[in-house]
Amino acid sequence: MGRRLLGLVFVYSLALALALVVYATGSLQPPHEIKRLGVFYVEETFFGNMTAMSPEAVTAIVWDYRGLDTVYETAVFFLAVVAGLAVFRVSKTPPLKRGVGLTEISRTSTKIVAALIVVVSASIALHGHLTPGGGFQGGSTLAIAPLLVIPIFSYYALLARRLTPGLLVTLRGLALTAIGLVALLPVFKGLEVVTNIRFYPAYILGQLVSGSLLLYNSSEYIAVASGFAAVFLYLSFEEEFHEEERGEDHE
Amino acid sequence: MFREVLVTLWLFLFYIVYTGSTTPYDIATGLVVAALVGVPASRVLVSDERKLLDVKRYIHLFYYALKYMTVIEFKAHMDVVKRVFTMRLNPGIVKIPVYAKSRYGRLLIAVSITNTPGTVVVDERDGWFYVNWIDVASTKPEEARLAISAEFEDYAFKIFE
Repeated sequence: MGRRLLGLVFVYSLALALALVVYATGSLQPPHEIKRLGVFYVEETFFGNMTAMSPEAVTAIVWDYRGLDTVYETAVFFLAVVAGLAVFRVSKTPPLKRGVGLTEISRTSTKIVAALIVVVSASIALHGHLTPGGGFQGGSTLAIAPLLVIPIFSYYALLARRLTPGLLVTLRGLALTAIGLVALLPVFKGLEVVTNIRFYPAYILGQLVSGSLLLYNSSEYIAVASGFAAVFLYLSFEEEFHEEERGEDHE
Repeated sequence: MFREVLVTLWLFLFYIVYTGSTTPYDIATGLVVAALVGVPASRVLVSDERKLLDVKRYIHLFYYALKYMTVIEFKAHMDVVKRVFTMRLNPGIVKIPVYAKSRYGRLLIAVSITNTPGTVVVDERDGWFYVNWIDVASTKPEEARLAISAEFEDYAFKIFE
């Protein structure tokens, strides 16, 4: 007991000493003044006139100031997913079998980790207009959950829950339609396409939502996650299934 | 019903810790996300609701987490640090029995073994763990178990069985 206590005291004093050194040298303290470049960006995207009302300059630029560019990027990714489906000619899904998967330990930890991944990815996407992150980053994070499930449980686990490439591509199509609608809705009120703050509210119940940026980020989150998940899924189908789909012989 | 609420609360807490902020926006979005994930996930994650209500299990879990992160990890690290200098290595893979039946209990034992330097669970088969051990003191399964996982298993029983 005495030695254990001694060990504990040693560990804590070491940690305390380290913390004190780090604090005393000031390496953990953030700078008190914002650099001029930072001030310029925050004024242009949040504090000044005619801004996107987002303190996160990257999101303001990506979805507002150069929104059309982002629409093309999203379209390119969508075409890549669809082209993949066309090349692999996935129109059906393999018949359901029982997958082997990995050990019970991997399965149990994956169940916990997958739930946490979904929560973290949602936080990244929903705070895209406030802190670094956004729809694409959140969606890519969310896609890790099916990517983990495929090797650890086998892809049948996803197919058994009706998560097929077809459904995921449909989901992606719907999310992209939502992005298009958010961009087009201001037109019906006589405003320009992709109008942000003049049409969408910057605050809802006193909380900053940065107008259309939150809507774009949420839709992009679903679009990117379902797109990546569809790709992961059809890339993991066995070659035999793809050959059967194409009607090729094994000779 | 209870497990849905509790899993949702845990996920909400995780959301808030990850986000690092507690504005009404964070709380509102956190509750919605946690409920959307927690309700379906609770059916996969929790099979015995009564264990969730047992306060004693939480106390054991908290005590074990504290002890593991301080005393057990420290001892294991110091052992490996000593071996780095003395190079007294006798590595090998041993087979140890695991008596815990619950999946979380077995997971706790496996990650406890792997997370301490010097031992790694490399496979699990028919109730046995195969552990890569930096200093094989015994190849007899029971003796190896006593040296590697007996303490972890005691807590696994108290927390999850």
